[in-house]
Amino acid sequence: MTGPLYLFGAFGSGTSLAIAVVIGFLFGFVLERAGFGDARNLTSIFYFRDMRVLRVMFSALTTAMVGLVVLSWLGLFDYTVLVENSLLPTYLWPQLVGGVLFGVGFVVGGYCPGTAVVGVTSGRIDAVAFLLGMVGGIWVFAAGFPAWGAFYKSASLGRLTLWQAFGVPMDLMAAAIVLMALGAFYLAGLGEKWAPYDKSFRVERAVRSSTGNALLSTDR
Amino acid sequence: MTKDVVCDMRQFEYAEGYWNPYVAGVALGLVLLATFYLMGTGLGASGAVARTAAVTAHVAAPAAVETNGYFQEFYKSGKKHPLMNWMVFEVIGMFIGGFVAALTAGRLKSVVARGPNVGVGARLALAFGGGLVGGIGTRFAMGCTSGQALSGGATMAVGSWVFMMAVFATAFVLAIFVRRQWL
Repeated sequence: MTGPLYLFGAFGSGTSLAIAVVIGFLFGFVLERAGFGDARNLTSIFYFRDMRVLRVMFSALTTAMVGLVVLSWLGLFDYTVLVENSLLPTYLWPQLVGGVLFGVGFVVGGYCPGTAVVGVTSGRIDAVAFLLGMVGGIWVFAAGFPAWGAFYKSASLGRLTLWQAFGVPMDLMAAAIVLMALGAFYLAGLGEKWAPYDKSFRVERAVRSSTGNALLSTDR
Repeated sequence: MTKDVVCDMRQFEYAEGYWNPYVAGVALGLVLLATFYLMGTGLGASGAVARTAAVTAHVAAPAAVETNGYFQEFYKSGKKHPLMNWMVFEVIGMFIGGFVAALTAGRLKSVVARGPNVGVGARLALAFGGGLVGGIGTRFAMGCTSGQALSGGATMAVGSWVFMMAVFATAFVLAIFVRRQWL
């Protein structure tokens, strides 16, 4: 059958909610197994200590992207329906500003919303604090809405895809993103070897423990 | 002269025992692909938190929430309860799935995830503050890492890629200044 099934009316909203729980279960399960239930694994990427966030995200993104392109080649997925009905619309400046604020929240708070959920279920108290902070932040956003409501809906470009923006075929855009992801995986490996923070960290620790301690016993 | 301490992932116990990141990524991608095939939309998380914020505020001040410029979209007359929503049910599933995964891996442990140079109180305050700023960010961006970066990214939506680049560029720069929390 040609997808997206729900948009073609293959099942009702009651069924869709049951599907939501199953999909959510798998999503939460995989996030935990990826290591995303702990803030240290999530922020290690910013210190080139462990680039797993990049590896997981880009391999997930490209898997789904290539999957959708292949399904539409096979006639099993109607990409036009998605682009016209449910593709996330672009609001250029609000999304740029939102991304900057979100980036601050990510590296300071240690989580993003989905990973904080998995952090909570793994027993991470800081993930509980992050989610409580998020609720508070959304209250702040709503309270200040009269001030920034107009900006919130500004710079609207509609449901715009990268291949439309660059004027290239969909398949070619997807191929370019796959190549970019492969390049990013290669650079991630180099970044871990470089590990600038852990190098200075090592020197600091070596100096601090010049009288000798357990840390230095790993020295050869 | 001290030689360089051999520094590899084995020194960080918190990073042990997880799936290979590419395996986890492909598994996550297949879940996302199934979601698009079934629903026509991707995964999400922050929308459920926004609805939770609206409902909790509604308990305290129903009139103010129903007339609020942002929250009113969840309380239009004739609409279902804000929590009767696909993403809310998906996030309920995430709680169950994450719990089962942590439990079966023996990783269910009540701790505050933090670097060795930050106290518990400071870490919790920073987590709360980060959540607050990040929460505001999700509203301007209309999504988070799940909804925008991952799902919007996989469907090549322009705004999602703008969001993703802004998130990581900001975080890599700011990381320099908050390294005492993590390293």
